[in-house]
Amino acid sequence: MKPRSYLAALLVLTSVTFLTSCASTARKSTDDSGSAAAGVGPRDAKSVQTKEDDLDEYAASSVADPLEPINRVTFWLNDGIYRIVLRPLSKGYELVIPKVVRTGIYNAYENVKYPVRLVNNVLQGNLPGAGQETGKFLVNSTLGLGGILLQSDKFPALAHVPDVDTGQTFGRWGIGQGAYLVLPLLGPSTLRDTVGLAGDYALNPVTWVGVMTGGFLWTGSLDWTVSIPAVNTLRSLPEYMDNYDAATEDALDRYLAARSVYIQYRAEVISK
Amino acid sequence: MNRCLLLLLASVILLHGKVTAASTVEAEQRLKTAVDEVLVTARNTPNGKELTDNLRPVLQKYVSFGVMTRRAVGPGWRQFSKDQKAEATKHFTTLVIRTYARKLTPGKEPSITFKAASAPAPGRIEVPTTVLNDGSNYTVTYRLEQAEGWRITDVVIEGVSLIANYRTQLDAQFKKGGPNAVIKSLSRSADRPK
Repeated sequence: MKPRSYLAALLVLTSVTFLTSCASTARKSTDDSGSAAAGVGPRDAKSVQTKEDDLDEYAASSVADPLEPINRVTFWLNDGIYRIVLRPLSKGYELVIPKVVRTGIYNAYENVKYPVRLVNNVLQGNLPGAGQETGKFLVNSTLGLGGILLQSDKFPALAHVPDVDTGQTFGRWGIGQGAYLVLPLLGPSTLRDTVGLAGDYALNPVTWVGVMTGGFLWTGSLDWTVSIPAVNTLRSLPEYMDNYDAATEDALDRYLAARSVYIQYRAEVISK
Repeated sequence: MNRCLLLLLASVILLHGKVTAASTVEAEQRLKTAVDEVLVTARNTPNGKELTDNLRPVLQKYVSFGVMTRRAVGPGWRQFSKDQKAEATKHFTTLVIRTYARKLTPGKEPSITFKAASAPAPGRIEVPTTVLNDGSNYTVTYRLEQAEGWRITDVVIEGVSLIANYRTQLDAQFKKGGPNAVIKSLSRSADRPK
């Protein structure tokens, strides 16, 4: 073998050693035995014998749930209300209102929520985000006929602007999520996100409509102070029901499945 | 001498880069083939019930259900007997296939864009994708590991990991009644009508 070949061989060898040492330090060497391959099929036999594999790779739920007994009761009550009232209402809305109209209504309400996104972008120190939101709001309010059409997607700089909310702002500030809570009707939340929800509520002009016209007192007629917030709920229902079903179908324990999905999703929203 | 050392170091780094790049390309290719096959199956299957059955052989080629089951159970897996491991894996496979099938609409084909893959650890690749389905855009990240070829070991939709989700539930079952409780809950869910 020529000296150069030795060098090449040495390089390959060091590479392999380096890779192996990385693998063993990156993961805890905790795998059990090859018997795990039983019933998995010959193709999987090798994979389950991998030495570096880590059984505790996915730590169990990372949220405190001291109110679990109460939360479970609220969860099942919500589940019943969804099944008996809200899902039929959502299906009816989808059946009666054509998709194109539903999309227009959805977009218009999202457009009106601009102060929620603007304030939270500023609070998160994301001034480019605040600028994008302002651009998006102006384009959709004018070219998009009051927000009904999502014209901002036609501008690459304004397309796919990530959504922001007050709970996310708290998370970015380093405030912990606190205990897990299941809110009546609204479903999964945490202490931090519940306070955040109040912030979103206060910043949403849809809420202002009721406050400016003397609160949410029932006036006896279905006027616009009632119908504007009511349609806001209705327009969000199909999406909420779809997400709820996706999180809980095929679950072994629907309560734990919904909790895990919510906590993971919020962690992602805050880390993005 | 110093120059020689520097050269050696540079070569090692370059070689590592090439090895990683080659593995990434191979893993990405494998994933694309898998996703293509899944989409063709979804397109050619008229209803949801058949879709689950038709997807089974496809997913068994590309997914490591053994690794998925063990990780979903967690450290308690060590207390499972050989037969219990086999049974848990069988039921969990059915559940994962059904969960995945539900994300697809029979007869329809979502538009999928693959983004740049990353290698969080040697022998592991994460491929983020964006899926446009029925007007909605969402992110799906596939985790692949090298185990007799590249195999999918987790699917993360909008930050929600399929395995982490089941881990929370199976952990609770294991604490309640050990391997038998885990198997019982898995078989109950797997036997539920599609």
